[in-house]
Amino acid sequence: MIYLFFALWAATAAAAFFARSRRTVHLLCTTYFAVHALFAAMLFAGGLYGTPSGGFFSFDAAGTLFYVLMAVVAAFVSLHSERYLKDDDIKTYRVYFAQLMLLTTAITGVYFADNIAVTWILMEATTLCAAGIIYHRRSEASLEATWKYLFVCSTGIAIAYLGILLLSAAAQNESLDYASLPRLIADGNPLYLKTAFLLILTGYSCKMEIFPLYTIGVDANFAAPAPASALISTGLVNAGFLAIFRIYRLFAATEVFDWVRHVMVIIGVLSLAVGAMFLRRTNNYKRFLSYSTVENMGIAAIGLGIGGAGVWAAILHVTCHTLIKSSLFLQMAVVRQIYNGYRINRIGDYININRIGAVGMIAGMVAVLAFPPSPLFVSELMILSQTLADGAWWLAAGIVLLLCIVIYSICYRVIKMCYQPNQDELHLSKIDTRLSYSALTLLAAALVAGFWQPEPLRRIIDIIANM
Amino acid sequence: MLLSLIILYVITLIYLSIVERFRNYASIIAFQGWILLGIALLRLHSLDWIELSFIILETLIFKALIVPAILMRVIKKTKINRVRKSGSSQFNALLLSVAALAASALATYYAADSSVHMIFFGVALYALLSGLILIVLRSRIFTHMVGFLVIENGVFLFSMAIGVEMPLLINTAILLDILISVLMLGMFMTKVDDKIHSVDSESLTHVKD
Repeated sequence: MIYLFFALWAATAAAAFFARSRRTVHLLCTTYFAVHALFAAMLFAGGLYGTPSGGFFSFDAAGTLFYVLMAVVAAFVSLHSERYLKDDDIKTYRVYFAQLMLLTTAITGVYFADNIAVTWILMEATTLCAAGIIYHRRSEASLEATWKYLFVCSTGIAIAYLGILLLSAAAQNESLDYASLPRLIADGNPLYLKTAFLLILTGYSCKMEIFPLYTIGVDANFAAPAPASALISTGLVNAGFLAIFRIYRLFAATEVFDWVRHVMVIIGVLSLAVGAMFLRRTNNYKRFLSYSTVENMGIAAIGLGIGGAGVWAAILHVTCHTLIKSSLFLQMAVVRQIYNGYRINRIGDYININRIGAVGMIAGMVAVLAFPPSPLFVSELMILSQTLADGAWWLAAGIVLLLCIVIYSICYRVIKMCYQPNQDELHLSKIDTRLSYSALTLLAAALVAGFWQPEPLRRIIDIIANM
Repeated sequence: MLLSLIILYVITLIYLSIVERFRNYASIIAFQGWILLGIALLRLHSLDWIELSFIILETLIFKALIVPAILMRVIKKTKINRVRKSGSSQFNALLLSVAALAASALATYYAADSSVHMIFFGVALYALLSGLILIVLRSRIFTHMVGFLVIENGVFLFSMAIGVEMPLLINTAILLDILISVLMLGMFMTKVDDKIHSVDSESLTHVKD
């Protein structure tokens, strides 16, 4: 069944590559997301949920949750991109949308892959699709970012592959299915398992945007068109998170699991520290949002490392971060249209120039900083509570200290954008409040989850946390 | 025979650390392609003939012929010959390479068990470290690309240790090779040199904080 959908998505994307008018591109985009809607309907109402498909895929809870989030974000990204790229020529326009569709398809594959090698192949496919989007502007900066992205991601993915080979050796080369691997590696050589985990974590860190290969995601978000950054910084990051989470779960039955958790905590704290430091340093609003992603993924990694309620909190954190961060990136696309840039030291007076956009930025700031009623408040509080319950007060103190730096940096930058006198060139005719309202809806959905987490959401997170 | 080929492969990795001309890099990558072909023939002869033919053809055509040819074309196009800009002397690079070899041997001694052909694991680890050393020590973008190809070859070699039982893994590694290497080499040849007009990684510093 899933191969049929892959074929339909790929065919639509391929058709978009050869579209001769914007209307055709829009029509193909609509078709593409209609197929996604049909797929989602079959997932929930057609009995696909919980079943295996095609030998290498499975429609499990984790894949389904992140797929639904990604499909919603991708639909918003597509809508915003139409306005954002309206001055582009048809050639670059159609290539962008075709690559966006291919990236969405590849990410879908990563979410539902039920085999560690298939996850890895599709992860590599996301690199190829994302590289095309990053190079969209055809400028020196975008070429540099694309080259770095391809180079570092490919090296990272090759390192992850070495880890997979080691894991395969530990499993006596019997199977690479996620379902069979826990049993096969339960008595595996501990040194193999540890090395395999380190290699896979390092390799996939370029996708999840955590330490050590986080920089490449930041560069990618910087160079890609802002709406596409919304997808890269959420859907693709979640693909990295899910790939690492599945590996993390495989190790739960092994004797090295405690060691794995410690590694996750160290990686999480380092990511949080790097995010906190660079949030203060950067002078570009898109890089600024990307470092916020690094910081938030660091928190999620800490949640996994702590274990217990921390795992549940990490999944909630990543889920809600998807809605909040995509909303902020889409708001940033509107900012780019008005100021023709992202320079933090020059952009200002946004509250008077585009009030609804400024409200979106400030509300997004409140949400991403985990102030109530943000759902991230719930997840971060759970992670801190679990840390204290485990007696790791020093870790909790370190997290709080780093979060204070994050809060100061984000508040300072966002308030500066809204209230400092503007020093940049303005393009007032490009203000489109509909886009600001549209981006706000994603944020509103996240804030609702802060007040009230619906039962199906709680249940699916329960299932994922206890996978 | 298999052992001789693997030792030859290790020698190419050591030699790589002291190479001064880009032509030699391309030649070494080509030579590694031929060695990998020999290893694949000896190691994987028990596979189904379709799978074996695919692997052999890929190694021969892609690793031993196409990639070195593209590297040579890049050298001609960019007109760069020497590893002039080096952050470290050849002696230091050699020292690091030998240290990496010793570390790999040590890791292999402690890690290898009956499930993995011990020597494949050690050589793959050494290839990974050699590639990383090239990337870190040299400032030329071209050398970084060679470093990546060295890592790829190492991973491919290790997949052959496991792949007798799981050909899917080898085919996967081949897919990685074809997709990424062609894309990166193509991008380097058609875009990077034209737009950035420099072959040094120092020129890739516009995207930063």
